[in-house]
Amino acid sequence: MKEIFAIAKKEYMDNWRNKWIIAVSAIFLILTLVTSYFSKGKWSDMSTTIAGMMLWVVLLISIISLMLGYATIVGEQEKGSLPLLLSYPVSREETILGKFLGLSCVIISTLLVGFGFAGIIIGIKAEINLIEYFSFIFASILFALVYLSIAIFFSSFLKKRSTAIGAVIFLWFLFSIIWDMILTGLLIINYGLNFIEKGGWMAPNWYYIAAIINPNEAFGIFVTTIIKMEWMRRLKLPSYYNPYVAGTILFLWTIISLSLAIYIFRKRDL
Amino acid sequence: MIEVKNLRKEYDGIVAVNNISFEVKKGEIFALLGPNGAGKTTTIKAILGLINYDGEIYIEEKNARNKDIKKYIGYLPEIVSFYDNLTALQTLQFFAELKGVDRYECIKLLKEFGLKESANRKVGEFSKGMKQRLALAQCLLGKPKLLILDEPTSGLDALGAYEIRNKIKEMNKKGVTILLCSHILSEVQELADRVAIMDKGKIIAMDTVENLGKMLNIQPKLKIEVEKITDALIKKIEEIVKEIEVKENIIEVSCPPDLKLQIINEIEKETKIIDFKTVEPTLEEIFIKMVKK
Repeated sequence: MKEIFAIAKKEYMDNWRNKWIIAVSAIFLILTLVTSYFSKGKWSDMSTTIAGMMLWVVLLISIISLMLGYATIVGEQEKGSLPLLLSYPVSREETILGKFLGLSCVIISTLLVGFGFAGIIIGIKAEINLIEYFSFIFASILFALVYLSIAIFFSSFLKKRSTAIGAVIFLWFLFSIIWDMILTGLLIINYGLNFIEKGGWMAPNWYYIAAIINPNEAFGIFVTTIIKMEWMRRLKLPSYYNPYVAGTILFLWTIISLSLAIYIFRKRDL
Repeated sequence: MIEVKNLRKEYDGIVAVNNISFEVKKGEIFALLGPNGAGKTTTIKAILGLINYDGEIYIEEKNARNKDIKKYIGYLPEIVSFYDNLTALQTLQFFAELKGVDRYECIKLLKEFGLKESANRKVGEFSKGMKQRLALAQCLLGKPKLLILDEPTSGLDALGAYEIRNKIKEMNKKGVTILLCSHILSEVQELADRVAIMDKGKIIAMDTVENLGKMLNIQPKLKIEVEKITDALIKKIEEIVKEIEVKENIIEVSCPPDLKLQIINEIEKETKIIDFKTVEPTLEEIFIKMVKK
């Protein structure tokens, strides 16, 4: 266990020293404040702010987490520091878990600092629902961990840094754009374009299941069902579109990706 | 100390190490020598558990696959790479924590390797020589019983290499067993008690440098500096030995020890001897002869 903490501490210090944490925290802080102020031309309440933040949070947190994790194994291997690390009494699973823990702390720090300061400022200027805001921060952390663990998974089996970055960029496009396009395409093939115009129309079950598997969608459902946004109330959604199922999906993405990373890394020759 | 039994490793169907077995005795400096791709680094990686392999490796009679055995090992990789954003002290403290070593030892080691002044500087700002010294410092953390050194003087200037060689000797004198992998033959000859010559994944010879020379029938060289070299003199020496080389006023002959005196007598009849010495077979000669075989 002490090996996991030692590696986690090293990862955190490494990222702290290269000013990564400060830069990303500042981005979160500024974007939150800008969203809060500019969505209505005055300081908005927290629900409105969160609704306005949803899109960029999904895009930005996923990119930042992928960039943070994609080189953690393959980058060290290319540089040559990984064989040295593993010549110490530390197992492969401890290495993966230590790196995950350290990088999770990095991303959690940035989210807490960025959203935390933004929350304080918005709280002074406008109304703030603390439960909603904490739920949003919690969901953002869970969402970040999903992408971080996926990035570590790619890093654990790909042999080149350049391939790993290619893989995570593709993954980002897959979950941000391609996934939705495929599902919408399948709906059009099966039901034509008419379904778009039908108010209150409910897509078949497979569509909702396939949609919620996407971590971006799961994050969206987690946040919107907790905050109960106005537009959500107008939609007919299956009963499993709730924060518990969405949260479980995000959790499972993290656990499965990390388990696969450990399994593959154990078998890998350095 | 290390027992390697039937070690075999394939990479995508290509055999990197082919069923090799050897033993490194406690307290000795054992060198793995071979051309590029001979399987030296793969062997070291297997000992350190960095690759999957067939066969058995024991360190201090414990299976090398057991991670706890690594507490007793210090490893100096060929390519030295640390975490650029950490300071030298933080780097050593990180490795000390992994080995369960007292943090105080880090400062002591930094001092010992002349890095105390740079303890709080980022490793990314270090020169190659400084990084190499830090690498050697890290592998001495926890007073290891076994040092595995992969090309320890690679890329260093003459003085840096000399310092590292001295450190290796010093550690060995303290009882540390050393497994050395180097392509610098003079370095291996200077340091190693025993040598294993590897080629195409196999050990083709293993013994002391002296015994390997004897085994291959490589004769010691007699170097004689004379006042004047004449054709008659060379003809006379050629009647005794076949291998003769002449460089300016130096005659070099490879001969068994019993012919030495006869050659010297013949030379003295013709000219004055200024100086002479016997040179034992070099590892380079042994190595070239072995690999060419």
